[in-house]
Amino acid sequence: MSAELDRTPRNLLLCEQSSLLDEKNRLSAQVQQLHFSYKVSVLLPECSSAPSHLDSLLSSFSSFYLIRNLPIYELLDKDFLQKAVYPGGVYGLSYRTRIDEDNCVALMPNGHLCLSLDKDSFELLGFEGKPCRFNHRSRSRFVVSIDLTDSSMAPGGRGYLRLLAGLRSRLHLHTDFLLSHHPGGRACLQPLLLRYDWSEHTPEVSRCHLTNLSCPVLQSCDPHSLLEWLGTVDADVSRENSSSSFLSSLVCPDPNTTLSSALRVSVCGLLLPPDIHRLIQELRHYLERPLLGSWVSLTVHGFVDSPVSWGDSEHGVLRGGENFYTLLMFHDHSYQLHLATGAHDTCPP
Amino acid sequence: MDAEALVRATIPHTLEKVLGVESQSHSKAAAFTEAFLKNSIQQTTRHDLKSMLTHKAVILGYTRPKKEKTKRNSKKAKGLNARQKRAMKIFQIKPEHQRYELFLPLQELWKQYIIDLCSGLKPTSSPQFVQQKLLKADLHGAILTVVRSKCPSYVGTTGILVQEFKHVFKIITKEDKLKVIPKRNSVFAVEIDGFVSHIYGSKFEQRASERSAKKFKVRGTIDL
Repeated sequence: MSAELDRTPRNLLLCEQSSLLDEKNRLSAQVQQLHFSYKVSVLLPECSSAPSHLDSLLSSFSSFYLIRNLPIYELLDKDFLQKAVYPGGVYGLSYRTRIDEDNCVALMPNGHLCLSLDKDSFELLGFEGKPCRFNHRSRSRFVVSIDLTDSSMAPGGRGYLRLLAGLRSRLHLHTDFLLSHHPGGRACLQPLLLRYDWSEHTPEVSRCHLTNLSCPVLQSCDPHSLLEWLGTVDADVSRENSSSSFLSSLVCPDPNTTLSSALRVSVCGLLLPPDIHRLIQELRHYLERPLLGSWVSLTVHGFVDSPVSWGDSEHGVLRGGENFYTLLMFHDHSYQLHLATGAHDTCPP
Repeated sequence: MDAEALVRATIPHTLEKVLGVESQSHSKAAAFTEAFLKNSIQQTTRHDLKSMLTHKAVILGYTRPKKEKTKRNSKKAKGLNARQKRAMKIFQIKPEHQRYELFLPLQELWKQYIIDLCSGLKPTSSPQFVQQKLLKADLHGAILTVVRSKCPSYVGTTGILVQEFKHVFKIITKEDKLKVIPKRNSVFAVEIDGFVSHIYGSKFEQRASERSAKKFKVRGTIDL
């Protein structure tokens, strides 16, 4: 037992420091590649109430739709392909399916459909796929990755008919599905929404005002302790480390200063990269104003149960399944980007 | 034979004068030859040559008499070995015979055979009983479908079973294609009148003739 605890599963932290004024910065590409984000939390120091622009932006995040018990072969419907998939910008993810136990489906904006299936489902489906890269010795999980924009997957093509026959008659895959489309919205998703039970949701925004927050000096802080501190602020974990309480022994890293007030805003839901991009721009404008805080932190969490993390790379859950990035922006347009993944993940871009 | 006759023939009269010999009569010639031989051969008084030669057996060579094997073998029909079978191509179906319609009567026959074997496939008959019978039955002519397989491209192929070998099934599909499907790592479904039975191919790797004698173990669940 103790041997297992000694070897904690590895996690990967990639840190990058650059400036937004530098034209070679890859920030927009990196933000764009995390397709499915679950939560965004923003920490604004020395701020007592949210600025109005920020509020309006947060409430204008695109809404997403939850379709109950969608049979997955409907994603190959001709109308849906024409309206939503081929123009690009569709984001779809199966909801409440666990990546290590159930079958998960992800539909990405570049027209790739990714099915992460367990062994029995893959053997029933009968479409080419590869074993999962993690745990490949036991071969218990298979990934079927299909490019819907390819010529063989055009409606009536050989690959299309085989996949449709497989999903319709051999493997009956039904999941709850979260669906969203960036520029189009509801009109593009209409072919699917007409036939099934759906509900519309907007991302939930919650704000919290914190007082007397001890905050480390950011430039001199190492990434691990900084991320730990940000996590404690986000999760409301006390940092006193008093001798009488054994719940948490986390403290604010030294050297530290005290902020009289700070604002923590978090948004939950199926959040799309273009919206996050607009949020980053808005925060940048906010930082340009004088007299306000000299830094802003933004953390974007990806879905734990999504089959893909960055781009098309596979994602798995070992014990955590985290895939998130933290962006620290400073007054002088420079930023620090920390990308973190868990054990069953490849290196972020 | 000719040479001997030539030697024993009398010399023709014309040559007698030339050679300066005269042919003797038969009795005189025999007496002369014997006397000549007696003088030429060394006479050893110790050994009585004639008696020696008459009583001694001279061993010239040593061989055992061969046992009569051919009589037994000719009763059993000699089979062909694998090389001869492959060369004669007796198990190959010619392309003009590879048509789905030709095998439909076989499929009907097989249905009847199975229904007779299970003494009438009623909806009330127990699956256990039908399974036991099916395990020992011959499957030539059944409609097989690959339901699950480790190799995704085999899944979904359906057709009439034409030949069953030790490790493969040969199936003819509706498109008149003869498909060879290995038994290992696949699950086949056999359907008779609404009764579907799944066969785990990995456990079925015997020749059809040998399978009737094999006992199958009862296993809980089988993973491919």
